Amino acid sequence: MTTLSLSGLRKSFPGAATPALQDLALSVESGALTALLGPSGCGKTTTMKLVAGLIQPDAGDIRLDGQSILSLPPERRDVAMVFQNPLLFPHLTVAGNIGFGLRMRGIAPRKIAEEVEEILVRVRLQGLGDRFPTALSGGQQQRAALARALILRPKVLLLDEPLSNLDAGLRDEMRSLIRKLQRETGITTLVVTHDQAEAVAIADQIALILEGRVAQHGPPQDFYQRPVSLAVARFFGGVNFLPGKVAGSAFQSALGALPLPFDRADGPGILTIRPEALRLGPGPAAMMAKVVDSSFLGTQSRVGVTIAGIRLEALVAPETARALTPGTSIGVTLPPDALWVLPPDALWVLPPDQAGVSPDISTA
Amino acid sequence: MTDRRRIFLLLAPALLILGGLFLGGLGLTVLRSLRYMPALGLTVPDLSAYRAVFASPGFLASLTLSLWIATASTLIAASLALGAALLLRQSFPGRSVISFLVQLNLTVPHIVGAIGILYLFSQSGAFARLAHAAGLIAAPGEFPALTHDSFAIGIILLYVWKELPFITLVLLANLQGIGEDYESVARSLGATRWQSFRHVLLPLLAPGLIAASALVFAFAFGAYEVPLVLGASSPKALPVLAWQAYTDTDLSTRPKAMAMAVVIAGIGLGLLLLGFRTLRRGGPNAR
Repeated sequence: MTTLSLSGLRKSFPGAATPALQDLALSVESGALTALLGPSGCGKTTTMKLVAGLIQPDAGDIRLDGQSILSLPPERRDVAMVFQNPLLFPHLTVAGNIGFGLRMRGIAPRKIAEEVEEILVRVRLQGLGDRFPTALSGGQQQRAALARALILRPKVLLLDEPLSNLDAGLRDEMRSLIRKLQRETGITTLVVTHDQAEAVAIADQIALILEGRVAQHGPPQDFYQRPVSLAVARFFGGVNFLPGKVAGSAFQSALGALPLPFDRADGPGILTIRPEALRLGPGPAAMMAKVVDSSFLGTQSRVGVTIAGIRLEALVAPETARALTPGTSIGVTLPPDALWVLPPDALWVLPPDQAGVSPDISTA
Repeated sequence: MTDRRRIFLLLAPALLILGGLFLGGLGLTVLRSLRYMPALGLTVPDLSAYRAVFASPGFLASLTLSLWIATASTLIAASLALGAALLLRQSFPGRSVISFLVQLNLTVPHIVGAIGILYLFSQSGAFARLAHAAGLIAAPGEFPALTHDSFAIGIILLYVWKELPFITLVLLANLQGIGEDYESVARSLGATRWQSFRHVLLPLLAPGLIAASALVFAFAFGAYEVPLVLGASSPKALPVLAWQAYTDTDLSTRPKAMAMAVVIAGIGLGLLLLGFRTLRRGGPNAR
């Protein structure tokens, strides 16, 4: 069990307009699998390389079990990194690749061979140890690369987009393998990904990085139910945003006063509700809305409605959506326990079809 | 037109030159080294020319000298080129200038370089006179013999100067293809800087390094003009010996010259094949 904490990390690359990382702070839960999530270019891979020691930060500190590791060269940090490409050494066999780290540490060849055999079974590559990397499939190469890092039992394991080069089927297989091996070994693991569904499926904790900073850090469900900002909510597929203000225990907006199930200081804010939490159909608290559009997404349908000029989107079962042709009137219920209030956002931009509805947040 | 025919037609000019001129020339040389010259009434091939070559007193010394020149030039040039390539891979101010200077002498003919060495390093050359003028030596003739010397220092100096950029260029191209990720992986797996060079980068570079070195070795072993200009009068490098036997007014030495040429070509070709076989095995090209 190892605690990894990053504080005040800054890194700029020559020639880049904006710094890759600005003041990044993150305390990684020990023994857990944490996903570093963010759009491409947000500084995820830079963060990994800083932890691995492959690059140095401009400012800030990286601590492992309370000790700063900034002055240590990569080979003495006890941090192993698996790259986006398997990068198996082409001149070594699969077994030679997996045993590489142990060989560099001067472990006896017989001991290495034993450990390699053992881990080959665990990553389901038994019998392939004598092959050269080119004779392996993409998924097998990625598993060999994982084994090459895991065999060292590092304090921290870094996985940079380990699934991005795999086909959909192999991706699920690799994801469960990573999850299983991480649970078995208890190695503190950081996985970089740009795919929020992947982060949710694999991680105990997610750290969402936006523009070189940690925007939110916590368990996956928090990002759906309790996003800390408009940007976080949007990144996780939030589409319903309603400007207004908190007054007493209700939210005042174009939809009237909606009671809030949690305490929040009075002031301007943005009300949000997940599209899958919106209920369409008659109900005691239903408001009348008009269907604007509807699109079939496979297992669900997305239905757009307007109430008092406000557009809301709901994800419903396709059979429910079939009857909802544009122009139909329908009741819409916003369940109080699914409501969440975001702080007002300077970057708040109304979708074009709602222009004219005053977002009463200019006082922010 | 089928693909196969098109490929054949496109390759035809190269094959014609290779097959007609090179293999034809080599074939004739081999025939003559076997004393098969119907025009002179010699119609029964035999190995007497080879026997005469191997039995002649100077041959072994010349062969040793040529092997020494080729080995020393190749090893020195390859080690220096490896260092230069690793240095030039990094970015630093003035890199492009140095890169240009390194490549510049690829364009200088060997014979011009050899004469340059003569002007600079011989006992009547610029450095000898400078050393004399500076009072380091009593007479220019006391300057250490770097040309026409028995260790072939002048020749090796020229080959190193001339072939270093060639190997460097090959290595730089290889380094670009390999990238830095393999070394990063090695470092994150606990390899020190030296270990990641020794166990990852060097094996990945080896095919290119060996192939380029094999070419340099074959050239340094088989070329005659540089040892002719810079070499000692005895022993002579093998190619010089062959050239002299060939241009001798006594036509009967021709088969001996041809036999020596075949020996030189054989050793050179053998090394090249060895080098390219290493190239085919593993390495980044096998990815």
